[in-house]
Amino acid sequence: MRRRRRLAFASLVLALCVAVALEIGIGPVYIPFWHIPADTIAYASGHRSLDAIVVGAIRWPRLLVALLVGAALAVAGCVLQAIFKNPMSDPGVIGVSSGGALGAVLTIAFGWSSRWLWVTPAGSFICGLAVVVLIYRLATFGRRTNLYALLLAGVAVGSLCSAIITAILDMSPLQTMEQMMFWLFGGLDGSNWRETCILTIVDGIVLPVFMALAWALDIMVTGEEHAEGVGVAVQRVKQIALGLCALIVGVSVSTTGVISFVGLIVPHVLRYLVGPRHRHLIPACALGGATLLALSDLVARTVVAPVELNVGIVTSCLGAPFFLFLLFQHGRNWQRR
Amino acid sequence: MVGVRLDAAAYRPVLQPMSIALELGQVVGVIGPNGAGKSTLLRLMAGLIAPTSGQVLVAELPIASQSPRWRAQHIAYLPQLIGDDIPFTVREFVEMGRYSRESAWAQGASRREAVMAAVAQMGLERLLDVPLAQISGGERQRAGIARCLAQASPVFLLDEPIANLDVFYQLDILSRLRGLAADGRLIVLAIHHLEFAMRFCDACIVLDHGAVVAFGPRDEVFQTELVQRVFHIGVRRFADPFTGDPRLSVMGCLPVKDGEEREES
Repeated sequence: MRRRRRLAFASLVLALCVAVALEIGIGPVYIPFWHIPADTIAYASGHRSLDAIVVGAIRWPRLLVALLVGAALAVAGCVLQAIFKNPMSDPGVIGVSSGGALGAVLTIAFGWSSRWLWVTPAGSFICGLAVVVLIYRLATFGRRTNLYALLLAGVAVGSLCSAIITAILDMSPLQTMEQMMFWLFGGLDGSNWRETCILTIVDGIVLPVFMALAWALDIMVTGEEHAEGVGVAVQRVKQIALGLCALIVGVSVSTTGVISFVGLIVPHVLRYLVGPRHRHLIPACALGGATLLALSDLVARTVVAPVELNVGIVTSCLGAPFFLFLLFQHGRNWQRR
Repeated sequence: MVGVRLDAAAYRPVLQPMSIALELGQVVGVIGPNGAGKSTLLRLMAGLIAPTSGQVLVAELPIASQSPRWRAQHIAYLPQLIGDDIPFTVREFVEMGRYSRESAWAQGASRREAVMAAVAQMGLERLLDVPLAQISGGERQRAGIARCLAQASPVFLLDEPIANLDVFYQLDILSRLRGLAADGRLIVLAIHHLEFAMRFCDACIVLDHGAVVAFGPRDEVFQTELVQRVFHIGVRRFADPFTGDPRLSVMGCLPVKDGEEREES
């Protein structure tokens, strides 16, 4: 297992490097990867050649946003799967994605987004968190959160949100509808350094906290009662984990829109490769999610160029068949590794 | 020395007020029909639920108001079910018992020693790196008890540790628990098997409808009349002709009176 884990981490780092080189290099302006450092330094020191601007102002922020959002979604999925003991969990289950999408669509429908640029991300973030708090309240009885109730409340509130979104879409003129679709399927175009900074700060705070909770998450996987028996502060771990998942997913959704499947498949695939312990699984998910989203974005930008697909469509189109393939290969002993 | 003391502790509406002191160094069985409140009593003793009135004292402190870490250092609680889908190895599972005593990232020798000692005491060395999902139910139960040993608490609370096990493992687990009690621990276990309770427990708590109907040494508790009343079965007590142990001959179900329906949990 240890050798396999080392091999897995080595390949993840390698894949990440390849993804970085490709995502920066490929596009309407082709940049050979050995030019990347030089162009980056040129942009940083104020030179404004075409290559420097493409690398520094467009490709790097886009790449970094993809990496940070991919890492956040995959790690959030991994943590939620542990908390819920449910392999179907992804950041969608706590309602933060659907709430976020609803918030974004509402601000666009009311026409606020054309007046101030920050309104849509802010609305998306606030609605996402509001939905999480609502679901959490619905499922907490006394001082105890019932995870089944939370899961079911999440599904119910999620479908309510999508119904409202669909209703708004039906009533919207074509032009605003396009803007809304960007949020519903997720996209990375227009990523800038401000978003990169916010995501870096949030990921930089949240991921270390999850690492500190790694052992408690391991124990939660064996069951809530077991966790209580060995001294895990179960309710506190649940609150921290749910709150921080809502935060990183909320910030991610508010920058890129809803990107599905990353949070679901990455933890599953990596659990198979690096084992069930969260001290390995969390960093692996961060690497894997980042790589997957960067590569998906590359595909989204290039496959039917010059048209750009939404990256969420690519993650689903690539993710679902790959996941089904793995399930088919290992389905019999998926649970017992 | 007293391990756990219930001081008029109640958990309404499931448990009526009860005052019991359990000494270290013995095996105490909690028996009673389904829905009598056995699991609730164990959770109350473990401090996982707070009494609605009265107190549960461990080391002379009310346990419900202590931190989870303190509780786990003083009481090891093992739930009834150890899932057959747990992906961790026996070593990783037993290590979890150290959660209340060590920080997650410490790679100290003390953890490895505690884990190896617990695993050796439960005879699991051979299965150290096998995932829990791949071992038998009896071995899983042993792993659970090894986790309690690694936790190094003086009191073990085990919820039906021999339910769903074959006869070999029922005897195996119970005699291992006797050995652990002989080392000065207090072992409290919920148990359905009345004859094994008589044979392996020093004392028993008999629960019925959330109230203690008998508490004391097994010979005082296992009165034919009491067993008939609590379990609604006809029994005769006799000495086993081969081992000399007290045995119960079960005659059959007794008619349940009106207004005294048996509740299933």
